[in-house]
Amino acid sequence: MSTFSSTAMPAAGDGDAGAGIPGSGLSGPFPVGEYARALRGRLRAFAQVQLVGELVNLRPSRARVYFELRDPTGSIPCAIWLKDWEAICAHAAGPPADGMQVVVSGGCDYYPGSATSSPGFSFAVADLRVAGEGDLLARVERLRRQLAAEGLLELQKRLQLPPLPRTIGVITGEGGKARDDILAGLSRRGWAGRLVWGFAPVQDRHAAPAIVRALGDLATVGGVEVAIVARGGGSLADLLCFCDETLCRTVALLQMPVISSVGHHTDRTLLDDVAAVSCSTPTHAAEAAVGVDCTRARADQVAAAARLREQGRRAVLSRARLLAGLSRAPAAHLERQRTRLHQQLREIRAGARRRAQSERELNGRRALVLQRKGDSALLDCRRRKPRELERLALALAAHDPQRTLERGYALVQSPGGEPITTAAHARTSERVQLQFADDVIPAKILEP
Amino acid sequence: MNEPSAQAAKEQPAQTYEAAAARVEEIIRRLDSGDASLNETLTLVAEGKGLIELCARELAAVGDALEELRLDELVTRLEGESGS
Repeated sequence: MSTFSSTAMPAAGDGDAGAGIPGSGLSGPFPVGEYARALRGRLRAFAQVQLVGELVNLRPSRARVYFELRDPTGSIPCAIWLKDWEAICAHAAGPPADGMQVVVSGGCDYYPGSATSSPGFSFAVADLRVAGEGDLLARVERLRRQLAAEGLLELQKRLQLPPLPRTIGVITGEGGKARDDILAGLSRRGWAGRLVWGFAPVQDRHAAPAIVRALGDLATVGGVEVAIVARGGGSLADLLCFCDETLCRTVALLQMPVISSVGHHTDRTLLDDVAAVSCSTPTHAAEAAVGVDCTRARADQVAAAARLREQGRRAVLSRARLLAGLSRAPAAHLERQRTRLHQQLREIRAGARRRAQSERELNGRRALVLQRKGDSALLDCRRRKPRELERLALALAAHDPQRTLERGYALVQSPGGEPITTAAHARTSERVQLQFADDVIPAKILEP
Repeated sequence: MNEPSAQAAKEQPAQTYEAAAARVEEIIRRLDSGDASLNETLTLVAEGKGLIELCARELAAVGDALEELRLDELVTRLEGESGS
């Protein structure tokens, strides 16, 4: 290393350090930088040509874009200035990518390196064109016809898309915009199910096998009801992987519906033909996967629930009012009856009062009459009747024998008090008694 | 003389005032006719006297009872009630 590290290397033949290999008949030794520059000059003098091959190992750097051009028999490292690359990309349908067949124009170049950087050979690319588009399209079309003839384009179409899948599988590039678009589409639908991601490269020659593997993985996960295979737009070469025969056959035979969204709406890959549904954008694919607008459906259900609740409330309320009315009816009836009874009671009471008053007055009058009668009777008892009795007493006294006795007469009586009114009777009685006004005197009959 | 009147009174204990008065009238009419013997006269006078005493007692009792009834007070009270 120390031999080649000095930039102030002496010319060939100068001193021991520059001495050649003893016995060698070759010229030199020459300083390697000089030789490298000379080699660069010779390589640059090579004829400018066009090369065709597969673009692989694409590596952009700050100033240049590096890649290799390969075919089955060999390969050449290539480099292109970044500004040229960008100009090519701007004109092409999409940036050239790994796996593409490309034609490049340019010539050989050699970077001689330096004390601190490595040398390198490259084919300096001045222009680039994606090669064989026509051939590719023809090949794709042949494969399409073959798949159609085998009926493989119809198998997925017969599968029923679940209107509201619980689990959706998505195969797309991990960092791609399609991923965000799908999320946005699902979000717009208001879908809140399980999402199973199957990240895979979506261009170059590794893409198709990776997508097939990812589909297999989704199938084994279980529960995945529909799968979306998506990527954004690209050139035909970019999308070529979605025309892969193995991929298309795999999708056709899947029992799980596959929704494809590959490229723009103008692009049509074989996967789009094979898939159950083909959508122009990942957003549409997401909306196709979820047939129901969950947000609106949820809102509709909320509205329906609210209507139901309101109608239920009204139904209950109206019946409750009816029942309340019915329940008040007996009470109202009772109240009417009670009022009527009260009225009747008042009438009876008033009648009774009137009657009682009239009876009282009548009674008073009767009492008055009674009093008068009583007074009259009392008068009878105290005056009239006693007078009458007095008259009777006087009349009776006029006949009283006592009065006769008081005038000097005497009454002859038997000893038992019986009056003796005849002489004959007297003669038969031995003993008699004489009743005077003041006393009784016993007497004896002398002459029989 | 007292004995027969007492007996007569005892013989008709339930006699009413009217019946007693009518009997006295009847006795007087009999005595007034002059047909009654001395003995009957004595008996009738005794009976009449008892009946008159009975009537007098009856009158006094009825009068007292009438006064006891206090009909004037009843009338006064009823007039007060019917006026209220």
